[in-house]
Amino acid sequence: MTDPRFAEIESHRPYLLRYALSQLRDGPLAEEAVQEALVSALESVGSFNGKSTLRTWLTSILRFKVIDLQRRAVAERAQLQPVDAAEAEDETWLDALFDETGHWRAPPQAWSDPEAAFEQRRFWEVFEHCLDRLPQAGGRVFFQREILGEETQAICKAERITPSNCWVILHRARLALRSCLEKSWFAAEQSLGR
Amino acid sequence: MAGSVNCREASRLLSAACDRALDAEERQALQYHLGRCAMCRDFESQLKILRRAAERFRDGGA
Repeated sequence: MTDPRFAEIESHRPYLLRYALSQLRDGPLAEEAVQEALVSALESVGSFNGKSTLRTWLTSILRFKVIDLQRRAVAERAQLQPVDAAEAEDETWLDALFDETGHWRAPPQAWSDPEAAFEQRRFWEVFEHCLDRLPQAGGRVFFQREILGEETQAICKAERITPSNCWVILHRARLALRSCLEKSWFAAEQSLGR
Repeated sequence: MAGSVNCREASRLLSAACDRALDAEERQALQYHLGRCAMCRDFESQLKILRRAAERFRDGGA
């Protein structure tokens, strides 16, 4: 209970939840998987040898819990929150970002020194905050594609959408994420003269 | 048609290129646009940064 690594393990909960959600597409089920994984992790933290990062180790435990839960309960419990196909096809959101002639309304800026940003804990807080602001399905698809590196074909199949819907969702997610990171981090950092 | 995309369309192609191979016409139109548009070149490098950040995030962030 008072293991000093408890807090460190616990700090990965938001990431793990995102992982579980991307795989299970069901909030309560994802919470359950994460809870079970964290309990297992605390019980076996002595066997963590530091060869991989803590997050990678926790994710590998969670992966088994996810598969377990998929086998056990998905059929009756999953309340799939599917991607809304109409929403995925609708591109009017682009009008907010581009004017009638197709030019950027707020042009992207050059981001200075991303590698230095990656070294800062605060940057990752901002990154998570920006991920949280993506629409639910968009955040989930983005997580599968960019963070887990899954192929779009596999994602389409799991989400039951067409590839072109998938590309639209990813396009939107990337534009939203870049805009949020620029506003919340890169522009702010530059104005501080770093 | 080739060689005449605007920023809106270029951003769509740049994002698509992260997920699939562009066809020859798309590639040509995108290259032509990028050659003349610094804003879209900035967007292109931001996509690369996003991808590196995502990989790093998977391994635990900072």
